[in-house]
Amino acid sequence: MQTDTVPRVVVVDDEEMVITSVKAYLQLETEYDVVGFSDPEEAVRFFPENAVDVVVSDYLMPKLNGLQVLMEAKRFQPEAARVLLTGHADKQSAIQAINDVGLFQYLEKPWDNPQLLLIINSAIERTNLLRTLRDKISQLDMAHSHLKEVQARLLRAFL
Amino acid sequence: MSGLASPDSTMTAEEQVAALREELETVRRKLAETYKMASVGKLLAGVVHEINTPIGSVRSNNEVLARSLEKIAGILECCPGAGEAALAKARSLLDSCRNLTSVDRIACDRISSVIRNLKTFARADRSELRKVRLAELIENALKLTQCEFRRRITVESDFGEMPEIECNPDSLSQVFLNLLINAGQAIEGEGKITIRTRVEDGEAVISISDTGSGIAPEHLPEIFRSGFTTKPAGVGTGLGLAITRQIVVEDHHGSIDVQSELGAGTTFHLRLPLRQPDEPR
Repeated sequence: MQTDTVPRVVVVDDEEMVITSVKAYLQLETEYDVVGFSDPEEAVRFFPENAVDVVVSDYLMPKLNGLQVLMEAKRFQPEAARVLLTGHADKQSAIQAINDVGLFQYLEKPWDNPQLLLIINSAIERTNLLRTLRDKISQLDMAHSHLKEVQARLLRAFL
Repeated sequence: MSGLASPDSTMTAEEQVAALREELETVRRKLAETYKMASVGKLLAGVVHEINTPIGSVRSNNEVLARSLEKIAGILECCPGAGEAALAKARSLLDSCRNLTSVDRIACDRISSVIRNLKTFARADRSELRKVRLAELIENALKLTQCEFRRRITVESDFGEMPEIECNPDSLSQVFLNLLINAGQAIEGEGKITIRTRVEDGEAVISISDTGSGIAPEHLPEIFRSGFTTKPAGVGTGLGLAITRQIVVEDHHGSIDVQSELGAGTTFHLRLPLRQPDEPR
């Protein structure tokens, strides 16, 4: 998982210029690993094999739309936060996204850089918290199993 | 919309007919204008999407550039001795600025192009009719495409004898520019564009052919529809041929048709009347 390394942000937009701009800004302001895809299908192929903390996706793209991309991200990286960055001023798609893919944030183009950074930082924090929570739950599960084992051994010893 | 007013009973029959005809014409103009505005409205949603993306990019890049330049200034001030590491950092930031400047330029060009196309589409400009030499308009459009075509595309022109034609020179220039740019974009690598003009059946006929990739038969019925494009994002807005058709057919009472063969090339044939009719359609 991505917790021990630098956070990874995936930007998906069929417009190369958006990827270049967001990447340049995040590289200036942060140490995050920013991976850009202008082909949404390539992004979808990236998710199963690579840990991701935040996915920022455009909505209107050829082949796959932003919701389909975020749905795939949710499938393979359930803890990664999902952000829709769209120039398509369509509130319906935003509502659908929030309901269908558990959207973390919806941003409209032209976007505001400090706002985008704030969202990405909060998203990474949320992802880390979710991962910590998952680890704690798994530790609790292990402790519970251990206790049950001890209990079983005790019962065997005394009965 | 209100109905036609009843003609004044003191008028003669001819006067009543003339008054009604005039009023009908006014209503027809209003209808045409409403139709045009409705079409423009339909385009707007798509156009806003087209504009917001490059503007977002430009704004973001400008911010990064400003911050980078601040950092460069800071580094240079803090290190008057010009340490090698500081210089390397400054050089890297400068490279980043150069890349972003070039992205900004491309984005700005696109904004201008979309706005320009939209303005042409919405303009009602029968008052701007003038008599001009068609060859001159085509040659001007060719000058604008020279940078893109140079060394890659050869242009062959055959301007036949033709009187000056009555038209709106600005919007016809836009037509020729659109068709020439499309022709250039259809040619991958080297190729040829041929332009022929002649008078046929009292009309000006202009043919623009390219040796490009051609248009798939299933796309041919769609090419004049606004929003239709097969070009990659960032290259085509799907407005060019819709505007071309609007200018030729609606504004100049002409016609435009296309012949294309996949892998062999495309020819657009334009027919324009030498004089515009007194009464608009």
